[in-house]
Parts: sequence; structure tokens; C-alpha cells
Amino acid sequence: MSFAPSTTSVKLVLLGEAAVGKSSLVLRFVSNDFQENKEPTIGAAFLTQKCTVGDRTIKYEIWDTAGQERFASLAPMYYRNAQAALVVYDITKPASFIKARHWVKELHEQASKDITIALVGNKYDLVADDNDSDDSLRKVSMEEGKALAEEEGLLFFETSAKSSHNVNEVFVAIGSKIPEAKPVTEELGSRPGNVGRIDLSGPALRSNLSDCAC
Amino acid sequence: MSFFESLRDKAVTTISLLIERKDSDGVSPDELFCRQHRLPLGEKVLNQSAVEVGYLADSTKAAYRTNSYPQGKVYLTPHFLVFQDIYDGRSCLFVLHLSAIKKVERLPASSYGFALGIHTHSHINVKLYLVGLRSESELFSSQLMGALQSNKPQAKNMAFFVQTCYSEYLLAKNHVPSAETVNQVPASGLGLTFGYPGNLRELRDRSKMKLWFDLFRADGRNLSLIKTPTFAKLVRVGLPNRLRGEIWELNCGSMYMRIDHKDEYEKLLTDNENKHSIAVEEISKDLYRSLPEYAAYQDPEGIERLRRVLVAYSWKNPDIGYCQAMNIVTAALLIYMSEEQAFWCLNTLCDRIIPGYYSKTMYGTLLDQRVFESLVEQTMPVLWNHITKHDIQLSVISLPWFLCLYLTSMPLIFAFRILDVFFMEGPTTLFRVALAILKINGEELIKTTDDGTFIQILKKYFTSLDQRSEPSSTNPKNAQRTKFMDLFLVAFREFSVITDEMVEKHRTKHRNTVFGNISQFVKRTELRNLPRIANLSNDDVSSIYDRFYSIVRQQITVSGGSSFMEFELFTIFMSQICDFIDPEPTDDNTFQKQERFLKRLFEHWCSEDSSKLSLKDLVIGLNKLIEPDLLTSISNFFALYCENGKVDREGILTISEDLLFITLPWEMGKLHDALTATAIENAIADKICEQQEAVGVSNQDPIPIPSNIDIDKEKIESMQIERYLSAASTFIQRAFEYAQPHEEDVLISDLPVDHKLSHNAALNPRLPVFLNLPTFRMVILADETYELLFSSTIRGSIHIDTPTDGFDPMRNLRDMFDGLLADGREVAKKVRRRMDSAAHPGQLSSDNSSLKSRKSSKSHIEDDDDRDDDFSAIDIDESEKDFLFAAEVQALADPVSSKTDDSRHLRQFHDIRTDTQHSSKKANDNLIDFD
Ligand SMILES: Nc1nc2c(ncn2[C@@H]2O[C@H](COP(=O)(O)OP(=O)(O)OP(=O)(O)O)[C@@H](O)[C@H]2O)c(=O)[nH]1
Ligand SMILES: [Mg+2]
Repeated sequence: MSFAPSTTSVKLVLLGEAAVGKSSLVLRFVSNDFQENKEPTIGAAFLTQKCTVGDRTIKYEIWDTAGQERFASLAPMYYRNAQAALVVYDITKPASFIKARHWVKELHEQASKDITIALVGNKYDLVADDNDSDDSLRKVSMEEGKALAEEEGLLFFETSAKSSHNVNEVFVAIGSKIPEAKPVTEELGSRPGNVGRIDLSGPALRSNLSDCAC
Repeated sequence: MSFFESLRDKAVTTISLLIERKDSDGVSPDELFCRQHRLPLGEKVLNQSAVEVGYLADSTKAAYRTNSYPQGKVYLTPHFLVFQDIYDGRSCLFVLHLSAIKKVERLPASSYGFALGIHTHSHINVKLYLVGLRSESELFSSQLMGALQSNKPQAKNMAFFVQTCYSEYLLAKNHVPSAETVNQVPASGLGLTFGYPGNLRELRDRSKMKLWFDLFRADGRNLSLIKTPTFAKLVRVGLPNRLRGEIWELNCGSMYMRIDHKDEYEKLLTDNENKHSIAVEEISKDLYRSLPEYAAYQDPEGIERLRRVLVAYSWKNPDIGYCQAMNIVTAALLIYMSEEQAFWCLNTLCDRIIPGYYSKTMYGTLLDQRVFESLVEQTMPVLWNHITKHDIQLSVISLPWFLCLYLTSMPLIFAFRILDVFFMEGPTTLFRVALAILKINGEELIKTTDDGTFIQILKKYFTSLDQRSEPSSTNPKNAQRTKFMDLFLVAFREFSVITDEMVEKHRTKHRNTVFGNISQFVKRTELRNLPRIANLSNDDVSSIYDRFYSIVRQQITVSGGSSFMEFELFTIFMSQICDFIDPEPTDDNTFQKQERFLKRLFEHWCSEDSSKLSLKDLVIGLNKLIEPDLLTSISNFFALYCENGKVDREGILTISEDLLFITLPWEMGKLHDALTATAIENAIADKICEQQEAVGVSNQDPIPIPSNIDIDKEKIESMQIERYLSAASTFIQRAFEYAQPHEEDVLISDLPVDHKLSHNAALNPRLPVFLNLPTFRMVILADETYELLFSSTIRGSIHIDTPTDGFDPMRNLRDMFDGLLADGREVAKKVRRRMDSAAHPGQLSSDNSSLKSRKSSKSHIEDDDDRDDDFSAIDIDESEKDFLFAAEVQALADPVSSKTDDSRHLRQFHDIRTDTQHSSKKANDNLIDFD
């Protein structure tokens, strides 16, 4: 009873300090576009995008959250039931890296146990040309990022929403780490009007599935 | 890191909010009155009277407008005269600012007996027929005169204020005879220059204006408007652009703030010119990101107005500062309002209408989302079941509606229509509209199973609000109807059942949960940012956090908020968790000693400012205090006293006094240390053995623990008292004996064997001496009781996990004893052992010797008391070995039995500063021979 290609829905949340480029990464991934003066996100924005990983299609349900400090206490609403998270920092802003560390810990303590997290150092285009000179704009080294990722068991990428460097790679890498969801036939029958839909698993259902998958 | 600091502030504000909330559950009637009529908080009802009201405008030729004279109540406050009819103000209501009253006269008595005629600045003549006893009416009238008199200085603002109201300009421009002279267009919103959103013709702006023009002439305006059902109707059909700002500020009450705080806005700006703050920075980042589709916000004029209003507010209320979404709301206000109007309106909005929406924790937003969910559950149970079944995060979707007052969700012209009602009716409007949105889209929404589709449906709906809902209807009226009109109808007709009281009830229900969640989040974040701590579990740190804030917050309510602990609060903190700290020492002597010791801890623990302890400092300090490793624990203690690694003569005396102070509960037998506990267990075990033998039970049977047993507790206790006294005297004696002369850099291992000699030299007060860490350790380790003090007694007397409320630091002897029996396992073990050894006499019981030969003291009561010398468990520095050996020798000589005199000694040590020589001499007799 295998469908080819199977589609998996993945709830993904973006977290990170204000103006590190969360919305820009999403915009690049979803519309392959970039805006110089992007409006700040208030509360959260929701977008979807499909992405092919190997032989299956993943439909990302993306929650792009607000970075302003005081919105942090709303974050638990957004990462609830998330299967994947991008924790984004700006490689030219050390403070944003400290905050990324904070978010990783928060997710490990509070989010679903099997959440896949990618640590993303954004705005790579700003440092791409300089060769580690002292006055480089880069303030967070790649090693620091890697070290944190290893310590906490995260995927790690340096990206640029502006040049689109590594952006798709992040989402593909996450996709290939997400366990495949099995289509559930009984559910199909119990919900009329849903017959044509491939994506039939709400987040609650999905977490059940991933439990039995392992 | 500002992030963490601000989180710390959050914790404080959250907690203090919780407290304030508690208080505000009993809102005073005056405050309720102010809220109901949107008066500035602080107005009090001075007097009230039943009345019938008649009113007439100069400009209307007709007789008094209504044949029926509305009946109701009139209330007098220091700055307002408020009338509300018997139908809760639904058919007639007015709030007259006293500044708008030109004249009050006593009308000739009619059948009513007592009537007042009031002439307002908008040329309305109001007649108040006071109903009631004449004397009461007299009183009311004289109080009104008094209030008018006191308001006179403020009434001077009126002339200027009139010039700022578009309503006045409108009448003047149209040559209404009774109008004020207003020649200049009053300062107004950006719309005047940049145009208003929407099509004027479609909005029927001109006809609306005409209706308002008539209303102003007949019912008055701004500070002296008499509100009839027409007023509310005109608000609901949508305000005309030029009057929108003024009606908004009148309805939300910010107009009263503006007239009473003339110039404050300008002053805030000049006072804080060029000052920087995080809020100011955040504001400038968002200026170009606020309603960017409106022309004024791509223009310096609009951007600067927006900046000034937001910045002024951030200084006016630094607790809120700036929150994203305020930029959007303010940008919207500024289209219709002057800067000053928008500033006061923003104030009223943030502080009164939707408090907590933009605060640092956004508790108001979170709370109202919760309330919204339960209203959905209550009013649309089928949809709600569907939403929960599919785990659709409704509150996440609706949050921006509330936070941005629909301004970012639907086309602006519709959002402004909602705002018109919102300012008149308050936050229920937000709920009514949100419920209507779900209701109207319910059929479609119930088919969705994920957030994505749910959001998509709503997005599509919002962009189609201007479309006809039934374009093919044969009824021309229905065919004209737009989806927005439908929304309006459903929201304000169907969901008019959602009242303020209902919302408030739901808020009360969910408040604690929501605040609890926020506090937890803030706590998690702060705890996560503490350094790694070896000796404290996560639960311990969590308890410290709770206690820290429970104590600090008591101060907040008084002095306005701090997340540091000052010395007095530190004392309270320590007294709650420490057996040897007394919250209120009765005698001065103990008080001073305690204060001195605590001060020492406090100053050593403070990392930034020696007068304030942060949570981090406290955690690090406590971690040291309960250090389980014997040697580290001793050196931590020594570090409190030493300078450059040394403690001088004065310091030695201080240490010995402090040790005496710390050990007071044990010296007095109030607490038991491990040795005593073991002794008690042994005594009980012995007793049980005797009884068992008497009845002849075999040693295979389980050991029954009797519920009561008679042992000689007093004897054991007095042994403990003796031990402590002896430890104190031995300490001072040895400290001076091994203290080194200052000049010589003598290695300790080279200490002359003839210690009598060196000892005497050290005792000579003129010869400077010092104690270093190795020597101090040696001296401590040389005494079993003090060794135990550092390895377990102190640690055991600090109870970090004590519940935050209600706690008795001194657990009395009786409890302790009962505890032993209740647990029983230890005693059972001992009894078993005794019985075993009785059965196999070859095996020597070590119970008695356990009192004497305890070496390492990691162990507690629960440890096996047959312990070996477990030095190996302690990490010993090679160079310390000699001293430990010496200590071991020392420990073997039974200090308890070698003790001679007791309480006299103790007293001497309390006065040790004056009597060093004497007591040391005395203690001399107890010197132990090392050879
Ligand atoms: N040079 C460069 N600029 C970027 C990059 N990504 C984003 N930016 C810019 O950084 C600013 C902030 O980007 P956003 O995507 O709005 O940041 P955000 O994290 O969504 O911000 P909030 O919604 O406020 O939390 C914008 O001006 C972007 O143009 C990048 O890869 N390179
Ligand atoms: Mg964003």
C-alpha cells in the first residue's frame, strides 16, 4: 500500500533574534526572492512550500516567528508539535549567536523529543569575500557554530538569503532527517471530503506516527 | 547581555503583576466608575443625586428636544459632571468636563422644588431637576459650585483646547451663530495632507459630515457632548475622516488626558531629546515598516511624526517602552489624529483599554487569546471540537488580529470601521469581530484539517470583504450588501451577547494559568543562563529562584522593582533556609554576630556591586556553602576571611567567634550532628536488643521497631554540647599554636616539634602571626567535631528545598527523634548487627568506636557506620597528607572523654577578644602529644 511519491507534511518553526533574516530565508525558499527592507514579523507568519527529498515530497508548513525579545514568551505556541526547527543567527552579530544557543536549549527542553533542529548562520554573503582578516564583518566563526551544533546534535549550515547560498540545502537536509510518515487508510474513509487529499495527517496524528515508526 | 537582563526584569514584572492583580480583584467603586465613563483614573464620586434632565441648544429653535425628560442619576467628581439615565445610559448619557461649564444657575422653583440650569461652552442649556430632600439637593449644588471653583485654573485651558477640535472649526466655518471663533484648521492627522484611505464618495463622507454637523449643534460637542442613541448610530455607520480622530479620543477618554496635561507631550520630547534607549533604537528600525503602503510613511513628515509619538510614549511608560505592533497602531492613529491626540490615545490604549498587550511579557495578549479560545468553545462548540481535534492553533492565527487591531489583517478602510466601534465600546469589540469571522467562515473552516488551509481561507476572506455577499439577490437591498456589512452585523448583533463582564469573567478564570506559563518561561530562561553548578540540582536552583523572587518581590511593591537582593533581604533569605540563622535573634549579642557573619558572606558573594546580590551571585555562593568535599569546603570558608592567602591574629579571633556563632544550635543541643544521631541510634538499638533478648526472639525474625522507647537522650545531648565546646577551645588554641610568625616563611612541615615553644611565641600578642590555608585545614581536621562541621553538619543544616511559605527553621529534638523511629531502617540495621555479633562473638561490633573514629565525614546517618577509613574517597593533595596523618592521630585521642570543663569555657570564648590569654592557657592543659 505504498503511494509513490509519498508526501510528508512537516511543521517547521524558525526562531532567532530580530532581523537575523528568518523571514528572508523563508522568502528565498518559498518564492526564490529577496527584499532589502523586509517588514518585521509580528506574532508569526505562516507559509507552505513543497520540496523533493530523494523519492518523496515534503510539504513544509513553516511558522516564521517574530524576533523581538518580548515575543519570546509567545514562542511555545509556535514550536508546539513542530517536527523541525531552524535556529537562525546572524554571523556578523555575536549577540544573535548567544540567543541561538538559548533557543536550542529551549527547544531541547520544551519541544517534541524527536524534533530535528538546524542551526543556521545567516548573511554569509557579507563575509564571503574576506579572508579571515581582523576587520572582517564576521563575528561568529564557523568553528563556533559547528561546535555548538555538534554539542547539541544539530544540523549546521551557513547561509545567505541574499545570494541564496545553502538555503535549499538546509531544507533538504532537514527533510532527509525526518522519518517518513505512513499513509493511514482508515483515516481516509472516516473523513468524507478528504479523499483527494494526500496530506491527511494533522500534527497530532503525525507525532503518533513517528512514535510507532521507531 | 541586555536580553537576559530584560528577562530578569520580566520575571520581576510578572511576579509583581500577579500581586497587583490580586489586589485589583477588589476594584474600588470609584475606579469602576472611572473605567465605565472613561474618566482619568483618580476621579472620585463626590456626590450623586437622582435627577430628571432637560436640555436645549441655543441654535435649535425647537423647544426642549425631548418631551420625555430622561431620568437617571447625576454624579459629581472633582472634574466632571456625569449623567446616566436609568437605562444604563443607553438613551441618554453625558460626561461634562467642568472646564466646559460656563455658568450654573438656580432655576426658579417649580413643582420640582430644586433645579439647576447649566450652560456649557457649546451653548447647550442643561436643566437638572434634582429629586430628593431639599437639604441634599442644596448640598449637591454647593459641592458643584465648590468643584467649579477649584477647577478654575484648569478651565483656562479651554480657550486653547477649543482651537484644537475639528468639531469647533466645523461649526465656525459654517457660521453657526453660537460657534466659537476658530479661524485655523486645527492640527490634524496626516490624512489632511496625504489623503485618507478609501474612496470618499463610496464612504459617503460628506453626508456623514452633515449628520455630525447637525448633531454637534443640537447635542453639543467634545467636552460637553450629550450622547443619545443617534451618537452611537453615527459611530457605527463609520466616522467621517476629519472627525474620526476627535471622536476616537472622546470615546476612549484620551481627550480628558489631553486637556488636563497640556504641553506634556512636547515636554517629554524636549526633555528626552537625543537620549538613547533600546526602545528608541527599536523604534527607528521599524519606522519604514509601518503601513508602508500609505504615502505619508514614505515621507519624512509622516515618519517623523510616527517617530516622535512612539519615542515620547517609550519615555512616558518605560515599562512598556516599545513593542512591535505599536508602530502599526500608531501609524493608523496618526492618519486621523494630530501627534498630541495620537500620543494620548496611544497612552489610553496601552494602559487602559488593552493593558498588557504590549508589555514586556505580553501577558494581556496571551490572556486574551486564551479568553478568545474559550469564547469560541462556548459559542461555537462544533467548530471548537473540530479545531481541537485537528490541533489547529487558533490563538496563533488570531493573535495578530488582536495585537494590531485588525489593521494588518484586513483592508484599512474596514479595520478603521472596527476601530470606530472599538474606541466606543472597548475590547469586547475585538472578540465580537473575531467570533464573527469564524462564524461566517465556519462551514469552510470545519472542512480543514491543518493550520495552513485554515489560514488560507481566512486570508481569502479578508481580501474579499468589499465584495457583495449576495450579488444575485432579487432584493436590491441584499444585493448591495457587502461581506463587510455582514461581518459587522454578525459581530455586533449576534455576538452582542459577548459583554465586558463575560470577557472579564473568562480573564479571571484563565489569568493564573497564563501568568503561570509566562513565569515558567521566564524562569526557564533565567535558570538556563546561570553558570553550571556542581552541588545544586536543577530543583535546588529552581527553589532558590522561587525564594529569591518571592523575597525580592516583597520589596518591589514598595520601591518599584529590582531584581537584586539587598542585605536585609539576604538575611531573610538565609534565615529561611539555614538552621543557624535566626530570623529575629532575641539577644543583641547573637544579632550582632549573625549580622557580621552574614555581611561577610554577602560581600563575598556580590559580584558587581557590593550592596546588591543577583540571583547568579546567590546561586554561586550557596553552591560554595554546601560544598560536599571536605577540603574544598574548608578552603571556601577560609577564603571568606583571608587576605592574600593569610589570616592575621584579628582574623583568627573572628573565625573562632564565627564558628562559635554558626555552631550555636548544636552547642545548645537544639540540633544534632551526625555523631549524636549515631549515638542516639545506637542507644535505641541497644535498648531494643535488650528487649528482644528478654523475650528471646531469634535473630532471623524481622526486627520490630517499637513506637516509643526510653533512652537517655539528655546524656547524649550533653555529650554533644561538650564536644562543641571542646572543639571551640581546641580550635583557638591550635590556631595560635600553629600560626606562623609573619616574617619567617616557615614551611609547615618544618614546624618545630617543640610546639610548646612556638605556641608561646604565637600567643604573644605583640608578635604578628598569621594562619594560612594548610594550617587552617590542619587545625580544623584535628578536631572531629569541626571536621564534621565542614564535611556535613553545615551542609545538612541548609535546606534549599524548604517550601517557600511557612517554615520553621528549628526542628526540635522531639521531631528528630520521632523521625528516626518513624524511618526505623537504620535502627533496624543496627539491631540486626548487634544480634548477629551476639550470635558470632568473634566479630567485634564497632558501634561504640564509631563515635570516636569517624574520619571522613562524607557520611551521614544513613551511611553504614561500620565504615573504614575512606580517605581514598576524598581527593587529597599529596602535600596535605602529613597533616591529615597528624589529624588522624589527633582524632584517635577521644576528644569527648578528655574534656574537663564545659559551659564556663563557652562563655569565655564568647568574650574571647578580651580574654585570649586566659582561655588559651586553660586549653593548654588539653594539648595532645604528637610523639
Ligand atoms: N546581507 C544580507 N542581508 C540579509 C540577509 N537576510 C536578511 N537580510 C536583511 O536583514 C534584515 C532583516 O531580515 P528579516 O528577514 O526581516 O529578519 P527576521 O529575522 O525575519 O526579523 P524579525 O521578523 O523582526 O524577527 C532585512 O533588511 C534583510 O534584507 C542575508 O542573507 N544577507
Ligand atoms: Mg521576520
